[in-house]
Amino acid sequence: MTHLVASYDWGLIWTNKAAFLHGLETALEVSAVAIVISVVVGLLLALARMGKPPLSWLAAAYINVFRGVPALVSVIWVYFGWSLVLGINFSVFQAGVIALVLLYGAFISEIYRAALEAIPRGQREAGLALGLHPIRVFVRVILPQATKIAVPNIGSMFIGMVKDTSTFTVIGLLEVVRVTQNINSLTFQPFPLYTAAAGIYVVVAFAVDFLVRAMERLLATPPSGPVARAVNARQRRRVQAVVQRVEAISGAR
Amino acid sequence: MTTDSAPSAAAAGHATSTGSGDVVVCLEGIRKSFGQTEVLHGVDLTVHSGEHVVIFGPSGSGKSTLLRTINLLEEPSAGSVRVLDKEYGPAGGKRRGSPVELRRLVGMVFQQFNLFPHLTALNNVTLALRSAQKVKRDEAEERAAHALRQVGLLRFAARYPAELSGGQQQRVAIARALSLDPKVMLFDEPTSALDPELVGEVLTVMRKVAESGMTMVVVTHELSFAREIGDYNVFMDEGVIAESGPRGFFDECTNPRTKQFMAAVL
Repeated sequence: MTHLVASYDWGLIWTNKAAFLHGLETALEVSAVAIVISVVVGLLLALARMGKPPLSWLAAAYINVFRGVPALVSVIWVYFGWSLVLGINFSVFQAGVIALVLLYGAFISEIYRAALEAIPRGQREAGLALGLHPIRVFVRVILPQATKIAVPNIGSMFIGMVKDTSTFTVIGLLEVVRVTQNINSLTFQPFPLYTAAAGIYVVVAFAVDFLVRAMERLLATPPSGPVARAVNARQRRRVQAVVQRVEAISGAR
Repeated sequence: MTTDSAPSAAAAGHATSTGSGDVVVCLEGIRKSFGQTEVLHGVDLTVHSGEHVVIFGPSGSGKSTLLRTINLLEEPSAGSVRVLDKEYGPAGGKRRGSPVELRRLVGMVFQQFNLFPHLTALNNVTLALRSAQKVKRDEAEERAAHALRQVGLLRFAARYPAELSGGQQQRVAIARALSLDPKVMLFDEPTSALDPELVGEVLTVMRKVAESGMTMVVVTHELSFAREIGDYNVFMDEGVIAESGPRGFFDECTNPRTKQFMAAVL
């Protein structure tokens, strides 16, 4: 047993750390661009889904279809299919982003729909009663509250995205799994190398979880956590200044 | 002041209770249906400048719905709504104006406060000033602080709604509506969601608003408060105004349904 473990070359992980990190960087870049676009697409899909037919039917159909498509199929379809049909040649990076947005836009739209529906009707009514235009009510009142509810689930979606980039090895994107395969083809040490790959994904999941928690604290009311303390301190100073100014004016009367 | 249910609208003419001021709110023939059920059967209500109109009645009588047609949170199925020069006519009619413009003349306070939980007390007040009225940030904050001072909550300006009691939240909601300088304030059962010991502070603020000469329409179950501020009192039952009258109404009402309701509440 010991000699078996010892026969694995764990040092390969360290000697190839630059390649692994580069793979991680690529995976994170694709996912980061994709999550930003997916949130926008998801929000628009959610609004369409909550709107009037026939738009709501189209949105529902899209959501139900694309939630069922695996990332591997999506990326092959975009990279090879679209280039044949539309004549557009995407780079592997672009194809990866589009493949993810197609799927995760659908998932995130359902997250946003649930979050938007969770906001009490009175919030919209209060905004309207103040004379705000309905669009402003949405942007300033409803959306911030819904986003706060949606953030933890969007964080989970991001973790899923990073893992799904592993399938983009089929189009040759130099992400973590592709890098692992490349090193393995030269060294024939799949066990330590894929263990390292798995470790990278787990570390990403932990890091994202940490970031999401930080965002949740920032969006909590009242906000807490180190980032919020700085932001909040500034806001409180500003409020205090106004309060003192008004107290001085009314005191002088 | 004229209030009447539709069938006898003409009979009362335009007798005014207080005799004061111009017409601020004029509802004519308001009907409202939810699906197959009609909850308002043609209601007229006129509110003059500076007048305090109190609406009471059993639940389901349509009083909140009527109040909510004034700022078009409920769009009437028939009839017209006018607030000063802003008119909102029947569906398909020529006089159909913009609800947003009409709402800028009307402040509203809700039973459930409906403060924006993601904003501080101060920013709850500045939001509409800045987004709807395009007031600059510094000026908006100053006006908001003044409004909070009026309701005695200036030192809580930086707090979030979750950090305030129900009574304090409702006072912030009143400040939020007042800061926009409305021509009429609507109160929809403003104390019904409060713990009994917090009702007083909200009524005190409302009394101050009334004393400032603000035109008010108040839906309430606080009959002693109604008796105190009501220049004109409206008893609603089953979607119509069953009986209405000026000060002294509570002692002089004749409709058996009104008497029965008051006996049950008091």
